[in-house]
Amino acid sequence: MDKMNKKFFQVINNYRIYFLCSLVFIAMAIFVPNFLTVYNLTNILKGMSLNVMVAIGFTIVMICKELDLSIGTTLTLGAMFVIGFQPALGWGWSLLIAVLAGALVGLANGFLVARAKIDSFIVTLGTMTTVQGIIFLYGKGYALNATDFTVADWLETPIIPFLPPRVLITIVLVLLFQVLLARTRYGRGFYMVGANRETAWLAGLNTEGYVIVAFILSGITAALGGALFAMSLSSATPTIGTSSLMIVVAATIIGGTSMAGGKGSILGSAVAVLTLTILYNGLTNLGAGYEIQILASGLVLAMVVLYEAYALYRADKVKGQRPELLKEVRMLQEGSKGS
Amino acid sequence: MDLIPALQMKKVSKKFPGTMAVDNVDFEVYPGEVHALVGENGAGKSTLMKMLAGSFNDYTGQIYIDGKEVKLYSPAIAKANGIAMIYQELSLARPLTIAENVLVGRLPVRNKWFLDKKALIEETKACLKSVELDYLDPFTPVEEISQHEAQLVEIAKALGNNPRILVMDEPTSALSREEVERLFKIIGKLKQQGLAIVYISHHLTEIFQVADRVSVMRDGRKVGTLNITDVTQEELIEMMVGRSISQVNNAADRILGEVVLEVKNLSRYGFFHHISFCVRAGEILGIAGLAGAGRSELGRAISGVDPVDAGEIILAGRKIKVKNMAQALQYGIAYLTEDRKTQGLALRLTVEENLLAPLIPRHCKGFIYQKQIGTGIVKKLIDDLHISPPDPSRIVGNLSGGNQQKVLLGKWLATGPRVLILDEPTRGVDIGAKVTIHTAIEKLAAQGVAVILISSDIPELVRLSDRVLIMRKGHLLGEIPGKACTEEAVLLAINSEGEIAHAS
Amino acid sequence: MLVKSERIELNKRRTKTAGWIEKFGVYIMILVLLILGTLISNKFLTIDNLANVVHAVALLGIVAVGVTFVTYSGHFADMSVPGIIALSGMVAVDMLRYGLVVSLASGLVTGLMVGLINAFVVGKLRANPIIWTLAVAFVINGVVRWLYRGEQIYPDLKAGEKLATAFVNLARINIGGAVPITVVVFLVMVIIGQLLLTKTKFGVQLKLIGSSYEVARMTGVNVTGMVGLAFILSALAASIGGILLTSLVKIGAYYNGVGYDFRAVTAIVLGGVSLAGGKGNMIGVLGGVVVIGLLNNILTLLGVGTFSQTIVQGLVFILVVWFNTYSLRKLGKADG
Repeated sequence: MDKMNKKFFQVINNYRIYFLCSLVFIAMAIFVPNFLTVYNLTNILKGMSLNVMVAIGFTIVMICKELDLSIGTTLTLGAMFVIGFQPALGWGWSLLIAVLAGALVGLANGFLVARAKIDSFIVTLGTMTTVQGIIFLYGKGYALNATDFTVADWLETPIIPFLPPRVLITIVLVLLFQVLLARTRYGRGFYMVGANRETAWLAGLNTEGYVIVAFILSGITAALGGALFAMSLSSATPTIGTSSLMIVVAATIIGGTSMAGGKGSILGSAVAVLTLTILYNGLTNLGAGYEIQILASGLVLAMVVLYEAYALYRADKVKGQRPELLKEVRMLQEGSKGS
Repeated sequence: MDLIPALQMKKVSKKFPGTMAVDNVDFEVYPGEVHALVGENGAGKSTLMKMLAGSFNDYTGQIYIDGKEVKLYSPAIAKANGIAMIYQELSLARPLTIAENVLVGRLPVRNKWFLDKKALIEETKACLKSVELDYLDPFTPVEEISQHEAQLVEIAKALGNNPRILVMDEPTSALSREEVERLFKIIGKLKQQGLAIVYISHHLTEIFQVADRVSVMRDGRKVGTLNITDVTQEELIEMMVGRSISQVNNAADRILGEVVLEVKNLSRYGFFHHISFCVRAGEILGIAGLAGAGRSELGRAISGVDPVDAGEIILAGRKIKVKNMAQALQYGIAYLTEDRKTQGLALRLTVEENLLAPLIPRHCKGFIYQKQIGTGIVKKLIDDLHISPPDPSRIVGNLSGGNQQKVLLGKWLATGPRVLILDEPTRGVDIGAKVTIHTAIEKLAAQGVAVILISSDIPELVRLSDRVLIMRKGHLLGEIPGKACTEEAVLLAINSEGEIAHAS
Repeated sequence: MLVKSERIELNKRRTKTAGWIEKFGVYIMILVLLILGTLISNKFLTIDNLANVVHAVALLGIVAVGVTFVTYSGHFADMSVPGIIALSGMVAVDMLRYGLVVSLASGLVTGLMVGLINAFVVGKLRANPIIWTLAVAFVINGVVRWLYRGEQIYPDLKAGEKLATAFVNLARINIGGAVPITVVVFLVMVIIGQLLLTKTKFGVQLKLIGSSYEVARMTGVNVTGMVGLAFILSALAASIGGILLTSLVKIGAYYNGVGYDFRAVTAIVLGGVSLAGGKGNMIGVLGGVVVIGLLNNILTLLGVGTFSQTIVQGLVFILVVWFNTYSLRKLGKADG
């Protein structure tokens, strides 16, 4: 009975994000008028795309037990570059430049963390500021506009019901990285590196390489996400990625990725972003403003951090207990109840 | 034996700043042999083992595998040469599944990329079968299995690489007796398969059960190698400590005072249950037991680090409640941790700062910390404990292990405790520091302090203690009074169901 | 034997040099920047200009002094300071209608409340300090936008001309007719902070905690309380900074304080406070703050825009951290 219960809660906890997502969806469907329309649902999927893409790389970094605070500015960089270079070079080249710029930021982060052995929080705080400066320098602080609007229309028009190309690309990338991480030897390496770097090293894994690659992937997905988003708007502002850092950090942690490393999944993070997007969408339809969105995701993140901290605090209390002694205590207590 | 040794080390040495951890050691293991390696803490066993694991790229001397010279400069090379390690501290990735841990670095794949789930299950099952754990689901995360299962998974992981040479460092520390028997059966099977096994352990009884030959190390050197049938436990111990074990126990001369600390029915559920004993002023009370017997947990609970679930602590006739360590210190109860590096000393701070750390509240006048009050104390402690170099501004992390341990002891001596709980006070220190620390402990007792000595170093326990309490699996089994207290008696008592006098 | 003692001697000398660089490196940097500035422009080495430099970074300094306690305790940084700055400023403006004293007090109490929450969650529950304070920053941001509907609030509209003038003039007081009050507050806080760190039980125990949390806990230090106090001090300093900033810019707004987190950490690290904890002092942080001021000033004199200044700040930050980590590791002192 006890064991059944424990198993049950474990399953619930492991899949908590999927339950949460369904719950939020059902709640919104009930309480929000016009929620279940094709238009609105497509909007939700469009709304999640940017942050889902960014969350892919961020999740990989966090699985490696590192942190990347530069994702917000890196996605803005991607957005600014793709729009900025479009008039002169066309979409193909400008997209490539944007993604390469993201990769470069990731490489710098990875190198400083893995090789120079500086704490990732500090490194990415530094690159975050540096990239912020580059963005403002590049755009002079103004929004940039594209001269070609055809791509925007194409990216945003559903080709299959609900699914415009931008959403499709996002979903494909999520599935691709989900499979890569869950099902391939290299993917599992990230988990091993995050869970126990010493063991990974002793087993012959190139731990520094894994960390560097994780940051590069984070840079690429952030820049790509930002670029596609900007392409769909045909313009980019220097503040386009301001709220993403918070949403992505919150979603990744809610989605089951552990701050202690070695645990988490791309799909979990993606579904968590979807959940938050549904929440925002519903709140907005109910008349709540942007501020409620920020408040809601801040609160959700705070709750999750609290929950994780509390779980660790509990686990620490019982660490090293001898099961046979606990059995003795239980028998004693039952005995006293019986008499 | 005219076989070629599976492993042969010739005149290997490894130097650490300040010490020769391994000094010109010759060592060899033949296929199908269990070669035990014994020695006190800090004798160089672990360093020798790390050398085999490929942790150092700057050792000197030659290592031959099957007669061929190899340079074990990285873990990958060591692994490629068929060396597998089983560490005392588990090297498992706890959030990951058993399968991934067992097959780390060689996960089976299809089409070059994708994990072959079927092969993953099969290979893991095969590995687990060799340690009789095949009832476990390979996809269970390691954090959800028990400590002893994890230990066996660690062994399965090592065996999975089809090693020629298997090195085990204290593999039984987390196992119960039945599990140890099971492990020995597995070792027997591996022997028959022609594996060469290096077996490191403190439990001498185990070594007589499982080993064919035994090598003894002391202070980084090898003292000798003997067939297990040619040696007795006493002789081994004598070789390990480098002197006759019929040591003088000074306890007889000690004058015991009033009962200072009494513990009644103390329990912390799941860690230790119903512990009762008392200790007098000027007494050294030893506590013996295997790793995981609950000794450290008992010490921590009395000194307020961990909470107590039931029972009483009575200090000098007054019942006290110890809510935290600061309060324990006010009562004069101090606890010296067994984990010097992470819990004992702030390695980045100076000798002076470490020595005065527990005295900070006492040396405050109002809000202001009066650093100068401590200067005299620091000087006296450095002199008394022969801390070298005698420089209070030295960073503790740059001191040798022995001197670090002296600083740790000094830190608690500085508080002038009435009850001092020492948890492994001489772990990993050289003989010189050990003697200094022992002298300091005896002096402390002579001054009327009640000392509780928790130690795995049995000669130390026997030599210093007035009587020795025996703990096993969280229970207090009884005590061995001073007169009857011999190493054999203690060893027997902690290892088996031997009869011991019961505590009153 | 000779070789060994020689090596020890060498080690000692190296440790001393490194210690010296750690302690006073930032002042060498200031010297270099002063020389550089003098060479670049004849407008640089004037009382007016240098006074401007200090004035420009005084608010940052006030915030940095608070965050230093958190960094010193080994908990990296308090990322909630931008939120606290905005919130306490807005609360102060909102409460201005009940008088200046109530306004200031409620601004400080706001900071104190946030500090208490951080203290409980990080000190007691041991939540990851970065993620938690980041979450708090977001929550505050949301709360502020929600309460004030994303709008700026003006002192004169909230409390009338007279009180508004008093509030706005607060940050414009010049002590002795020459020294701005922000600079005075900053310097006083540096001195108090330095005394707290080096001369009190709190400071000495915080050093132990920063050097090794576990050791401090196993030495009987009230780690929960001390770490909590560090976060409370950080929040209080941020609310002082917030009130003064709001008074200076004459409006309360959710975006007041943006970027203060990063700039405070930069100043702290430049000032030789180790992110590993337990090392550094307020005099160094003072230097770090001044370096940021001088750097910006020189870049402005060179005609470099604000945006490029941000880049330079970021790069300098990374380089300094890199150098610190590298030199510590060379000496074998960095743990882990």
